[in-house]
Amino acid sequence: MPNKRKSSLVLVGHGSTLNPDSSAPTFQHADEIVRRGLFAEVYCSFWKEEPSLREVLHMVEGDDIYVVPNFISEGYFTETVIPRELELVGPITYRSGKIIKYCEPVGNDPRMVDLLLHRAREAAANVPLEKTSLLIVGHGTSLNEKSAEAAESQARAIRGKGLYAEVLQAYMEEAPFVADWRKNTSQPNVVVVPFFIADGLHSYQDIPVLLGIESAPTLAASQQEVFRRNPYLLDGRALYYASAIGTEPLMADAILDTIERFDRKHLSTQPHDQG
Amino acid sequence: MIRDELARLIQDGYNALGELEFAESSHGYFLYHSADRNLLNETRVYHSIEDARKIAKYDSAGAYRPLKGAPNLPRGWRIELTNVDELKKALDSFYPGALGSWLAYQNGKARPICLRQTLNRQTGMYRVTRKLTDEQAQNLVQEACRSDGRCLRTILWGIEDSRPPDFLPSSKFDPTVDQTGQKRAALPFLCLEACNLLVAAARNTMKKSSR
Repeated sequence: MPNKRKSSLVLVGHGSTLNPDSSAPTFQHADEIVRRGLFAEVYCSFWKEEPSLREVLHMVEGDDIYVVPNFISEGYFTETVIPRELELVGPITYRSGKIIKYCEPVGNDPRMVDLLLHRAREAAANVPLEKTSLLIVGHGTSLNEKSAEAAESQARAIRGKGLYAEVLQAYMEEAPFVADWRKNTSQPNVVVVPFFIADGLHSYQDIPVLLGIESAPTLAASQQEVFRRNPYLLDGRALYYASAIGTEPLMADAILDTIERFDRKHLSTQPHDQG
Repeated sequence: MIRDELARLIQDGYNALGELEFAESSHGYFLYHSADRNLLNETRVYHSIEDARKIAKYDSAGAYRPLKGAPNLPRGWRIELTNVDELKKALDSFYPGALGSWLAYQNGKARPICLRQTLNRQTGMYRVTRKLTDEQAQNLVQEACRSDGRCLRTILWGIEDSRPPDFLPSSKFDPTVDQTGQKRAALPFLCLEACNLLVAAARNTMKKSSR
């Protein structure tokens, strides 16, 4: 990682007004990047928590600012909400003597395939992979098709490794639906990994209901005494549910790599004074 | 820098922000809930910014606090910090952006954004809030943002551009008023633009009115 000690970093998370765990991964990775002393200042900002996207730039004191969406995919938030709220005009925005560099979402980092596979192995350590379906679950939304493409692309990359009997994608809000996992998977073991940043409302509370392993949304992950117990035996199948990948420590490195990729793509032809 | 401004403000006598109070000590600074002012010896001592973030996350009953300006911070703690930079970061954990926004406003680098402008740029599930009437908006803000129980920020935006929120009590849009009613030397805790919670509440208003 090049020296960024003259630069500021803003990590943008979704946040939640209902779930206290939603912002945790964003703070976790910000703390880790602060600990490494790589930037002059590091802030978190959220769509649904404070500091808001409207307020965070008042906190930033430096003139060279990287904004990294701690989001799993390109889509409605990275293409519409964040640029609109931060008043960005593209990857590079010059405003009031400052330069704001808007990076890709951290979920675009090539490490995601390994993180998903790691989570799958953690959740179901001893299953025979040749008798196992791996289901990568994304949000999916009618607001932007890229949300679904991200999970599909991860599933394709994992399929290409030939480890599991089958690798499929499923979504909360568009077909193929998570709730249809029984019909869409063929193997006796099914490992479900949510392609989400946080163990928040969707991955910890909504998807388990859609899968049929909970009858109603449960408390937030941090408010439960006991984490879920795998496997769940349903209709003669063994279902394993993994936690979201966003709390993996390697996500901090994925954020830093995202910044390096931004520099290579957008600043390679510009002189810059980072020493 | 913001921390230097904060040090200067403390020298000038400011010692409060929202429900918090702070003071210099022989070791640096300490920060506590204003209701614990006379009980500091009985409070549990903490030392880090992370502690500040954890304390600010839940109320005394253990319920999640999505709105940081809500007057329901738990009591019974004090945070001892070694320098003004840590104090600034701790204040940012309790009231994110409060210092930066006030200084930006004072320096002419930030201005209030009226509610119409905020609602008119909403998309997706919040697009419907563009249809909020003036009357609905006023009722909503009077209830959802009141300092008595809801949010301690001082509102500087109105419903329409260049009109102050004169449908609110005058104290609610006067930055010199301590919104806790204690008349302390409190740093202004400004609201320069409606937050996402208010936009979400506006959506609920629209959903109810369409039934």
